[in-house]
Amino acid sequence: MTAAAQHSVYVYGVVSAAECGSLSLTGVEGAEVRKVEHAGLVALVSAVSGGSLTAAKEVRAHWHVLDEACGTTTVLPVRFGTVMESDDAVRAELLEPNAERLELLLREVSGRVQLNVKGEYDEERLMREVVMGSAAVAELRARLKDLPDEAGYYERIRLGELVAAEVGNRRATDTRLALETLEPLSLAVKEEELRQADSAFNLAFLVDRDGLDAFGRGVSGLAKQFGERLELRYVGPLPPYSFSDVELSSEAAWA
Amino acid sequence: MAIATTPRGYIERPRPSGLADVIDVILDKGLVIDAYVRVALVGIELLTIDARIVIASVDTYLRFAEAVNRLDIAEDGSSQGLPELIERMESGGAESKTKGALEGVKDKLFGEDDDDGGDGGKQERSKTRARSRSSSGSSSSRSRSSRSSGSRSRGSKNNK
Repeated sequence: MTAAAQHSVYVYGVVSAAECGSLSLTGVEGAEVRKVEHAGLVALVSAVSGGSLTAAKEVRAHWHVLDEACGTTTVLPVRFGTVMESDDAVRAELLEPNAERLELLLREVSGRVQLNVKGEYDEERLMREVVMGSAAVAELRARLKDLPDEAGYYERIRLGELVAAEVGNRRATDTRLALETLEPLSLAVKEEELRQADSAFNLAFLVDRDGLDAFGRGVSGLAKQFGERLELRYVGPLPPYSFSDVELSSEAAWA
Repeated sequence: MAIATTPRGYIERPRPSGLADVIDVILDKGLVIDAYVRVALVGIELLTIDARIVIASVDTYLRFAEAVNRLDIAEDGSSQGLPELIERMESGGAESKTKGALEGVKDKLFGEDDDDGGDGGKQERSKTRARSRSSSGSSSSRSRSSRSSGSRSRGSKNNK
C-alpha cells in the first residue's frame, strides 16, 4: 500500500461528523487525538509507534479518550487495542466499507448512554440462605463438615454443585426482578457475562440522556427491594460499549 | 470518588466510572474491525485476572463448598486462591469484602505508569488467579479475548 510511509494509528471510536466538535485530548502513548473523516463519519485516532503497547497504561488512555468524547457527543467505541496501518486505511477499511452499518449504529445510540447495573451478593449471607433453603445442601454439608479435606473431595464437589444450582436459581430470580424494574426505563438491555462467583447479574442498559433521572430512581427503588441481600453497583454514563459490540469487515479488495 | 452502591450508598446517580468498574466492558466490548494491525499488548493478561472466572467449574464448586462449610467459623485461616492473592497484593481501598479488595488489586495494576512487561514477579503472582486463562507473556491483541471473539483471529495484516 502507498500508506507504508505513514504512521500506524490507534483507533478509539467513531462519531458522526455533524456532531463532532473540536478535540483536545491526549491518547495512547501520549499522542494527540485527531479526527480522520470520510463522508460524514469521523474516526478518532492517534499516532502510535507500532510494535507494542503496555496494556495497563494504555487501557487508561483508551478509556479516558472515550469517556471525554462521550461527554460531548455520541461515540461508538472501538475495541481496546485496535491499530490500523494509516489514516488511509482507517478511511478505506473502516469508514468507507462500513458506512451504512456505522450510520445505523450511530442513529441507534444517538443521544443515548450506557448504564451498567451489577448485582453482587454478600457471599456469607447467600451461603446461609442456601443452606437454610435446601435440605440437600444442609445434609451434605453436615456430613462433610467433619471429614478431612482429602477424604471428601468428590463429595465436596457435589456439595459445591448443589450450592451452585441454588445460587443459579437466585440469580435467575434476581435478574428477572432487575429487568422487570429497569427494562421499561431503558431502550435496550444486554445481559453481560458474570465475572465472579458472587455476582447476581451484570446488566447494560441503553438510556436516553433525558431519561437518566427516571432510570436512577428505578435503580434506587430496585436497591430498596433487594435491601441488604444484594449490593447494587450502578456505573455510568458510559459510551455505548455493549451496544456497539459488532464485527466490521474491511472488505478491502487489495488487502 | 462518589460511589453508587447499596446498602450504604446514595444510588440514584450512577457512579462516575472508575477504570476498575468498566475494565471488563472496555476489554470485551466495542466495534471490532477485521483488518486491524496486530499490535502486541504487553501485560494484557494482568488486566483480565479477575475477569475470567468460569461460573460452572470445579474451582467454583470447591469454593462454594468451602464457603458453606466455614459458615459458622469466625476466623478461617485456610483460605486459598483469591483471598490469598488479595492479601498479598494489599487492598488499596477500604471497602468491605472481596469486591473492594479486588478493586484494590486492579487499582494497583492500573495505577502503574511504568512498563509492566519486564515485571515477571507480578505476572507470576497473577497466575494464581488466572488458572483458566492461557496467559502467554506479551500476547497479541487478539489472544486476550478468545472467548468472545474467535472471529477476530482472521484477516490481520502485520505491522512491519
